[in-house]
Amino acid sequence: MSKGLAIIGIAEVPTKRDPERTRWDILLEVCMGAVRDAGIDKNEINAVISPNPMAQPEMQNDMALGKIPEVLGLKGCRDICITNAGGASNTNCLRLAQELIDCGQANFVLIPHTTVQSDIPPADLINFFATAPLDKQWEYPFGVSFNGSMGLITNRYMHETGATEAQMAAVTVALRAWAAKDPNSIFYGKPTTLADVLESRMISTPLKAKECNLLADGGGAMVVTSHEIAKTLGSGRHAYKLGHGTRFMSATPFVREDLFHRKAYRESSQDALKQAGLHIDDMNLRQIYGAYPYTQCSALEGYGVCKEGEGARVWADGRCGPGGDLPCTTMGDATGRGHTGSGVSMAFYIDTVRQIRGEAGERQINNCDNVIVTTSGGSVMNTCTTIFGSEAR
Amino acid sequence: MSGYKKPLPVIQPHSAEFWKGTKQGKLLIQNCDDCHSPMTYPRKFCSECWSTNLGWKESSGKGTIYSFSVTYEGVEPIFHDDLPIILAWIDLPEGVRMTTNIINCEPENVKIGMNVEVVFKPVTDEVTLHYFQPTD
Repeated sequence: MSKGLAIIGIAEVPTKRDPERTRWDILLEVCMGAVRDAGIDKNEINAVISPNPMAQPEMQNDMALGKIPEVLGLKGCRDICITNAGGASNTNCLRLAQELIDCGQANFVLIPHTTVQSDIPPADLINFFATAPLDKQWEYPFGVSFNGSMGLITNRYMHETGATEAQMAAVTVALRAWAAKDPNSIFYGKPTTLADVLESRMISTPLKAKECNLLADGGGAMVVTSHEIAKTLGSGRHAYKLGHGTRFMSATPFVREDLFHRKAYRESSQDALKQAGLHIDDMNLRQIYGAYPYTQCSALEGYGVCKEGEGARVWADGRCGPGGDLPCTTMGDATGRGHTGSGVSMAFYIDTVRQIRGEAGERQINNCDNVIVTTSGGSVMNTCTTIFGSEAR
Repeated sequence: MSGYKKPLPVIQPHSAEFWKGTKQGKLLIQNCDDCHSPMTYPRKFCSECWSTNLGWKESSGKGTIYSFSVTYEGVEPIFHDDLPIILAWIDLPEGVRMTTNIINCEPENVKIGMNVEVVFKPVTDEVTLHYFQPTD
């Protein structure tokens, strides 16, 4: 019988581009912040499980080979590990933490992330995002970039559903409207308009500059524990993991039958909801990490929130942004937050905790008791869906 | 041709036959001789049934555009002279999809569903890449 998992401590630095801020400086700040936020002593941390810092090999070695508990002086630490499933790495950190808690080796696990991309030459970053998740034999020789790959999927999505450029642009407008209200976003205080999105530079048709991701620096950390321990801490209102489901599709998009991930969104969410004993209509907030606007649309279709092909219209009708009746992705996704490599899913989980605690400020969803979160890695190779609730069940 | 600076395909032993084919002006599709599945790209064994009994069929090289995207920026400097690059996924009647570039066509004329045919371009002494162009 699983002891369950709850996120009881969070910390974050604002996402921005600032090469003066080092990877270790960010990392130490968020580690200390999350432990203090959890209200526990540093020596109560029994393990450190970190998402792989993508495209930063030196930091990867530091984190994989045990520097974090040493520098922090975590005297109760029994083991460390990094996980790498791209953007879904943090989901795997949560799974591994739960395993350590279930087998009695940990009461508290620290999950820290750091990324600095502003000191990496742009050409190197383009190369990383083109070669890491895509195919070096069958795609890369033809000049496929990550944006190009997502452009290919988006174009087909629009062709099949009839979604217009304005409807697709409305997704970015809504994401940026959330981000504009978030002090941790690179676009804090900077909403955008339909005209601005549509008139921004064309990158890879149909994707314009504002629909693509701004690569940025950032970091966050979480402390997790069992349901029983979480209930005794603070007010007892935390983000309790209630159910989880996951589906893999393919590494490269051109071989993917479920190109818009609807089936994967549907099946992973159904598994997660069934475990939680809840229905999709019970969710107060939908947190969708897909990094490109079409995923915000197809996830709603896969979850069964709307009919197949109508996702873009739901966004364009203003239902998913601030003030809408179907709030989605209040952290703005990578489009609104800035892309911090494997840190985007960390920001999704941290935002989920804030919403459940009632600490999301201007973005707060009323009575946010149940949240569905889907993360993905690589070129949306998988859909990892988790249900969080405000109480253990 | 030794001046070619762009990335070359990372060829594996089980895909060498495909690249030998492009050099000879043939688009070869790998098929499983046991379960008859076409391989989306060449494998060491069949991804459906794990049979190693694999063979090659020459494609007609004529297909249709499943999707495309015209890239105007955001590629490495080695690709800058090629911009705009028309990326495309081509569906071939043999049951496979390929990633390629559409050439000999203005970006504004590319459409999903358009009929295209393969064009081979040697880029080094060893490697010939397969591109596609509209059929008239």
